[in-house]
Amino acid sequence: MEIIRLVLGLALPWILGVALMIAVRPPERSSGLPGEGAWIIGAGYLAGAFLLTLWMRALSLAGIPFGVAAIALPLVVMTAVLAAFAWRAAPASGLAVGGALRALTTPPVMQRIARIAWWAIIGWLALRFILLGIELGLRPLYPWDAWIQWATKARVWYELRTIAPFARAEAWFAADGALYFDASPEYPPTMPLLQAWTALALGRWDDALMNWPWWQIAVGLTLAIYGGLRSLGVAALPALAGAFFVASLPLANAHVALAGYADLPMAAYYSVAALAVLRWTRYRRWHDATTAAFFAVACSQIKNPGIIWTLTLLPGIAVAWWPRRGLRVAGVSFAAAALLLAFLAQTHPVLLNYRLHLDFDPQWAALGRSYFLLGNWHLLWYGAIAAAVLAYRQLLSPPLAPVTMIAAAGALFLFFVFGFTNARQWVADQTTVNRASLHFAPLAVIFMMLAFDAFSRRWQAAADPAPAVHPAPAAATGAPIGA
Amino acid sequence: MNSAAPSESTLASEPLTPAPLNPFPVRLPLLLLAVALLICIAGYVALTVPAGWFPSATPKVWSIRELTVTRGRAVSANDALLIRPSDASNTIIVSLAAPFRSASYPVIAWAAHNIPEDAEVRLLWSNDYAPAKVNAMPIPVVSGRLRGISPASDPNWIGNITGIALAIHATFPQPISVSGVRARPMGVLEVLADRFKEWFTFEGWRGTSINTLSGGADLQELRRPVLLAAAVLLAALMGSAWAFRTGRTRALPVIVGVLFFAAWCIADVQWMWNLTRQAEASIAQFAGKDAHQRRLAAEDGPLFAFIEHARSKLPATPVRVFMMADADYFRGRGAYHLYPHNVYFDPYRNILPPPERMHGGDYIVVYQRHGVQYDAGEKRLRWDGNPPLKAELLLAEAGGALFRIL
Repeated sequence: MEIIRLVLGLALPWILGVALMIAVRPPERSSGLPGEGAWIIGAGYLAGAFLLTLWMRALSLAGIPFGVAAIALPLVVMTAVLAAFAWRAAPASGLAVGGALRALTTPPVMQRIARIAWWAIIGWLALRFILLGIELGLRPLYPWDAWIQWATKARVWYELRTIAPFARAEAWFAADGALYFDASPEYPPTMPLLQAWTALALGRWDDALMNWPWWQIAVGLTLAIYGGLRSLGVAALPALAGAFFVASLPLANAHVALAGYADLPMAAYYSVAALAVLRWTRYRRWHDATTAAFFAVACSQIKNPGIIWTLTLLPGIAVAWWPRRGLRVAGVSFAAAALLLAFLAQTHPVLLNYRLHLDFDPQWAALGRSYFLLGNWHLLWYGAIAAAVLAYRQLLSPPLAPVTMIAAAGALFLFFVFGFTNARQWVADQTTVNRASLHFAPLAVIFMMLAFDAFSRRWQAAADPAPAVHPAPAAATGAPIGA
Repeated sequence: MNSAAPSESTLASEPLTPAPLNPFPVRLPLLLLAVALLICIAGYVALTVPAGWFPSATPKVWSIRELTVTRGRAVSANDALLIRPSDASNTIIVSLAAPFRSASYPVIAWAAHNIPEDAEVRLLWSNDYAPAKVNAMPIPVVSGRLRGISPASDPNWIGNITGIALAIHATFPQPISVSGVRARPMGVLEVLADRFKEWFTFEGWRGTSINTLSGGADLQELRRPVLLAAAVLLAALMGSAWAFRTGRTRALPVIVGVLFFAAWCIADVQWMWNLTRQAEASIAQFAGKDAHQRRLAAEDGPLFAFIEHARSKLPATPVRVFMMADADYFRGRGAYHLYPHNVYFDPYRNILPPPERMHGGDYIVVYQRHGVQYDAGEKRLRWDGNPPLKAELLLAEAGGALFRIL
């Protein structure tokens, strides 16, 4: 009975999110488009999980105590309404989920060797997620920050059935019991609320089983990466390889097995927001824009740096919105940012009593060790750099420029954090450097796959000037879509 | 919105399947990668094997029974010597009097832990050519351990070595641990076996795993990602040469893609193997237990058990509780187990607020914390030299206590 409650509790946000993603799709899109089903299921979980926590926040604001019925019943109704809406708008779209599952287990037409590779990757991924599930399901809450600043809130909110406020020490003393305290009281409530919901669904506090949303996020991210890459013109097998790269990153795996930190969710929401932006730049559909906006807002509610990560999407939007001036605007913005950093590193200005001086002291050796020598990332950073070099001619072409700009902005943000702030200490001792990089890692995979795909198509077109039997989508060859 | 946007009909007519991947040369890149790996490994071996590739000598291993601590105070524990400096010079010397031929043993590796990162560490030795002369070579410290070094590059590593020693000068926050020393012929097979062992050393979960993963042993002479990246690059160059020579340049992106994917898979095999071993360990530790038993079986099981007892003495409704412990870990963990009580703890410093910030009805949990005194007769509790507070002892167990402020 307990297991059934847990499974239903975990399934609720997933089904809700999938229904939402289907409902907001334009009715014209059929379920058979490349990757659409995987995108809906993958991004759907992330959407549903965030919606669930928004609902819990609303309940808490309204003074309604958390309970399975109070939380689940309205969401079940909402799911039904969304599903009915989607079905009425486009009966065929209701088949998207089944179509996605079929698409994953029935690989597209391809050579025998490619089909073997397809099944091998699927099997390898399945085994990976089984192993991660074993770890997650057995091990009580383990990593440091998880029990010092995240699950602290989950436990209190689960037991009190409401979102009790947390505060810093002075406020805690002043409140005389009206506030709670932990190491980071100002952190967003999304992930603790997901843990609290899982415990509520389970019917008891279990600090191993409450972490299943991390596993779901990893699966959802993997599916969304596959679906997103497919919808952006990447062929099936390379898109699956891209999803595999994300799903097999050792540090990302560690964040599932030792769940409780918000870094993997941060990476997932940021990546899916970026993919939604890229889909919008490619197809200019309002629902991709709203999806991107929704996930961008979600980013800010996962971890505080999510606000900055959201801002890194803007250069990508700018170059898509203003194809002529966008690149110039983005280039000038990057140059201005670099100049400002250089200026603040060389001077000691004071503004409103705030010292604005920045110490530039990057720990290159430690950073290189982390990215290129240790076992955190496999070959990710080698591959991302190599793909950028191979595709250097297309990096600023209309189809690739948005992801290039987003990746550049993200890299600039990491460079600022590691080069100019006290986070450099965490680079030297290999602590936060990898967790902060984890936020960016799936996007680096997306960039790597899209850049390599663009390089591959250009190279093959150059090598084979005769008209291809299956012409590459215009979007992937550097020409504007529809041109 | 944009004239460049495709129409719905355009989108609907996109092919549902990708363009065929013909030609899809898989065997060639796999073969190239294998060859490139062999070349890279051969190059590495050529650069690193210090003497003969296939030496006849076998490694010599000396345990703590043969070692003498000539400077420092040592106690023996678990087949290791725990050594502290014995005077203000902050120097430790561990020596070994065992003769061996220098030419047969070009590498010396000390098994030592807890070495301060800023320590000056040297290998000392004397030989039978100049018995009175003590020679020295620095030993690098990595992650608190000592790298094996090859004194064969030193002209004084000659003849018969009559004795070796490990000299460490540092400020020692804790005792260092020395468990032995090995003299190694270091032929090709030994080098390769070492690297293989380093790559496939089980890396179980630990406190730092959420921040960084080594990918095998902490100390690795040759990092696997570097080897794989070099092999992919070399194989890609060979593949390019093949493609241009045969006029099949169209296949080059596929070759490069397959190379990269295959190298990634090789890296992932080690990680999957590690995860499998970890799953086995976790199953052995936690499987078949309910949530409460799993907590007791976890790393902080004794703390959890104590907090459980303490919780049974606390009111059912949340109250203010102050958590005290010397170690950050126990303070934070103890606090976590105490929620939803309204816990206060300092996450980063071993300090507690002064008594005037507490009041009657508050509780104090003490776990492995020095400097806390309780006078049961007077019911007075004090810590860190602060004025005493009226408090009642509710629970006292080994290493832990619960008080209620009166």
